[in-house]
Amino acid sequence: MDLVFIAQDCINGVLMGLIYGLVALGLTLIFGVLKVINFAHGSFLMVGMYVAYWAVTLSGLHPYLALVIIVPAMFLFGYWIQNLLIRPIFIAEKNVREPITVIIVTTGLWYVLDNLALLVFGPDYRALAPNPLKGQMLEFGEIFISVPKLYGAIATLATAGGLYLFLQRTRLGRAVRATSLDREAASLMGIGQWKIFNIAFGIGTAVAGISGAVLTPFYNVYPTVGIPFDIKSFVIVVLGGLGSIWGALVGGVIVGLIESVGPNFMASTWTEGIVYALFLLVLFVKPSGLFGQKQDW
Amino acid sequence: MTQQNFKRNCLIAATLAAFALPLVVRSATYLHILIILYLYAYMTTTWNLVGGFAGVLPLGHAVFVGIGAYTSTVLWLQYGVTPWIGMLAGGVLAGAVGFLIGKPTLKMRGAYFALSTMAFVEGIRVMVENIDMLGPFNLNGPRGLNIPPLAHGEVNFWAFQFATKEPYYYIILTMLVGVLFLTWAISRSKMGFYLKGGGEEPDAAQALGVNVARYKVMAMVLSSFLTAMAGTFLAQLTLFIYPKSVLTLDLSFELAFIALIGGRGSIAGPIIGALLLRPVTEFSRIYFSSTLPGLHLIILGVVLIVVMLFQPRGLTEPLTNFFNSIARRFDASAREERK
Repeated sequence: MDLVFIAQDCINGVLMGLIYGLVALGLTLIFGVLKVINFAHGSFLMVGMYVAYWAVTLSGLHPYLALVIIVPAMFLFGYWIQNLLIRPIFIAEKNVREPITVIIVTTGLWYVLDNLALLVFGPDYRALAPNPLKGQMLEFGEIFISVPKLYGAIATLATAGGLYLFLQRTRLGRAVRATSLDREAASLMGIGQWKIFNIAFGIGTAVAGISGAVLTPFYNVYPTVGIPFDIKSFVIVVLGGLGSIWGALVGGVIVGLIESVGPNFMASTWTEGIVYALFLLVLFVKPSGLFGQKQDW
Repeated sequence: MTQQNFKRNCLIAATLAAFALPLVVRSATYLHILIILYLYAYMTTTWNLVGGFAGVLPLGHAVFVGIGAYTSTVLWLQYGVTPWIGMLAGGVLAGAVGFLIGKPTLKMRGAYFALSTMAFVEGIRVMVENIDMLGPFNLNGPRGLNIPPLAHGEVNFWAFQFATKEPYYYIILTMLVGVLFLTWAISRSKMGFYLKGGGEEPDAAQALGVNVARYKVMAMVLSSFLTAMAGTFLAQLTLFIYPKSVLTLDLSFELAFIALIGGRGSIAGPIIGALLLRPVTEFSRIYFSSTLPGLHLIILGVVLIVVMLFQPRGLTEPLTNFFNSIARRFDASAREERK
């Protein structure tokens, strides 16, 4: 087998994997603070992609400049959803640390959002219309690198770094970490639990919005676009360890590599199966994942 | 008539009415809708064995429907084994898979179990879509399996094929009544109490010496076995199965949604859920599928969210209270008469 092809696949896998990691980042952040899995995360990504699509189509902005619209809009959306749907569950089930009802409600939300998108926008696959990044390639000898994917990978690293700094260095970030470690103790220190939950959910959703902006330049938008990413994100966060930022990125790269290098050795439709098998293996052998904490499972 | 007697008589009357229904309903279309309704009630009841009583959230029960459908169909097509035996074989295979999923994950947090059931249904769908031959068994990949319909003279009980809808109706109704009775018996048994205790207060149950995880795994295996039987029935009813029809997340979610809206952990819950929600699905599919695609799924999702937020134990609870108040009135009037 030609080494150049393998190198090419590895680069593609790492770039795409980092973008998967970006999608999973929002999920892992919400889990880290609320200790619940947001099953509607893929649908949030879908909403983010539609917001990005319309923001770019209507304003003609560069997709990355449109982030100034997308990020606040998605933050408010997540903030509002947590306040409206998730908070009442935590209040009703006060003595349960991670109520399973949240999974049920967010799964319901997944169905509502996906099918609302189908109702409003129709089943069409939409490609970004004024797309300044369309099909651009960087050439290094025999190796080609897709520019929108490269930008996406850079955006992922920037977002992860920004989140890390926010959590480690700012007052609000410390409050978020305190709430994640021990809700009651944090409340006693004067940290409003609901406000932190709202903000964490908002940030997680905003990250889904960033992923949307990153994906639209090379990925079509359609109502069920979230589903493959949703399931992949679950796999990635368990692989990397629920609640771990860097674990999400490493998990993403592993999945990305399986998907791009795998087809050299098997039918490409099989790679999806390999990813699920790996997921179950991690679940059975080391449920805390690569970077997770033991108490988190 | 005492309250207890009144309730029992109502139950018997409803069962008899269900068995007598085909005498009145002659249209094959309506019978088919009823058959599907009962099939869903059956599948949500078996879902409820683990999702309701054991207090966890299985989101991949379609995998058992698929195993049941594929096992009996392969045995029938390749070896001529009657689907009735295939039904049991599928059940055993599904029970083994249920054990495989449940054993490691049921002692972990709820989310992990939900995720691994989803991964299983997706993983097995990918597997079936990608292979034509599993060892000696022909699964025919994404194209699925066709059961050639027998001529009118050849249909018989052993072939599990019938010329009219009535036999299917009676088979699924019997299955439904049987599984309801089983659920009732379990809910009154030691296992039922252990499961309920483990679902509601796992730490307290553990402290009392109940091996919660073990009973959850038992419930999972039983539920998998019974769900697979529904898969065989579905295959024989439609005579055509393919991965995207029986091995999907959509079917898995729909079962969970119906049971949850009806009321998890109660015997009547899945029945009430199916009675309320299946017609919504059928009618919006018939009347709005071209103009408002996905409407029934929006309704399903919204109803689920609203029920979970305001009536988390499901719609059965207020309905049961209403029914009980009627039953009490009967009791009271009976007491008046005696005076």
